[in-house]
Amino acid sequence: MESTTLKAERRTDLGTLQSRRLRETGRLPGIIYGHGKDPEAFSVSAHDVAMELQHGARIVALDLGGASDQYLIKEIQYDHLDRYPIHIDLARIDMNERVQVKVAVELRGTPQGLHEGGILDSLMDSIEIECLASQIPATLHPSVAHLGVGESLLVKDIELPDGVTSISNPDDKVAMVHVLATKAAVEDAETEEDAGPAQPERIGRVAESEEDNKKND
Amino acid sequence: MAMMPKRVKFRKSQRGRIPAKATRGNTVAYGEYGIQALGCKWITARQIEAGRVAATHFLHREGRVYVRIFPHKPISAKPLETRMGKGKGEPAQWVARVREGTMLYEVGGVEEDVARQAMVRVASKMPVRCRFVIRRHGL
Repeated sequence: MESTTLKAERRTDLGTLQSRRLRETGRLPGIIYGHGKDPEAFSVSAHDVAMELQHGARIVALDLGGASDQYLIKEIQYDHLDRYPIHIDLARIDMNERVQVKVAVELRGTPQGLHEGGILDSLMDSIEIECLASQIPATLHPSVAHLGVGESLLVKDIELPDGVTSISNPDDKVAMVHVLATKAAVEDAETEEDAGPAQPERIGRVAESEEDNKKND
Repeated sequence: MAMMPKRVKFRKSQRGRIPAKATRGNTVAYGEYGIQALGCKWITARQIEAGRVAATHFLHREGRVYVRIFPHKPISAKPLETRMGKGKGEPAQWVARVREGTMLYEVGGVEEDVARQAMVRVASKMPVRCRFVIRRHGL
């Protein structure tokens, strides 16, 4: 995936307060680490990073202090509303080295089981893969059209591009089609709940509470 | 019946304060869509149940609704026409302490427009402003 070079600046003032002030000016604080070198703190335009992320970038080119290089996006922290990035972690990479990354899984197709009254449950939204840094796929698109009721899509069922290997557990379920509980079963469960106690049981205080009640009487 | 814990260590709790921002439980984790609280509030077990019922009725048992909050906190109240004093009242209801950003409900297995309409109905049952969110795939 092609990416534009982001203009970054070195950060010398570190800490929460300085980072907060940076964010108020529209910049995103970040850190670069890896390859046994010292970590470097930097800041970059938050808008530019948002654009890169929107286009599914996993590797960004950064112009830091006149030297341009490519880095792997290791982690992004979002604000409490999970809306805007507040920090970015970049890792130094060699484009010919193999890296381990999490790649999003987007299911394609309508499972057969949906026509039989089933529901598609997506159990994993990403899997971990190992591949060359230059060959990281943006997303994986396994088809779930063949899944009937009670069937599942496993990690090992996902077709990966050449040179990409999965390091997630191959027997992990990515998606599953199952039947929803029938209306009668739900009503039964609800009536069972209704029969429950009005107040919760007290942990380790049963005897004392009985004594308390006697005293109150 | 409204939700409440099965077992508790203490029957009554002090009022406390709700910390401002949610640092966990603030992303879509189970379904594809969700609603997120935009304020801090106590949400009672009855309100949680009302939201769940509103969503499941609208979806006609299609898809799946996930309730992401649980009322862990007992709220006590004194009986009517009682003089002050004589100790703390008995637990009257249970509430969930919701911070700004907490994911309240999630929906999976339905189209976005259907989920959006269901969540609008849920949001109208909530005592806080809410926003509709879509699960983020990848970074």
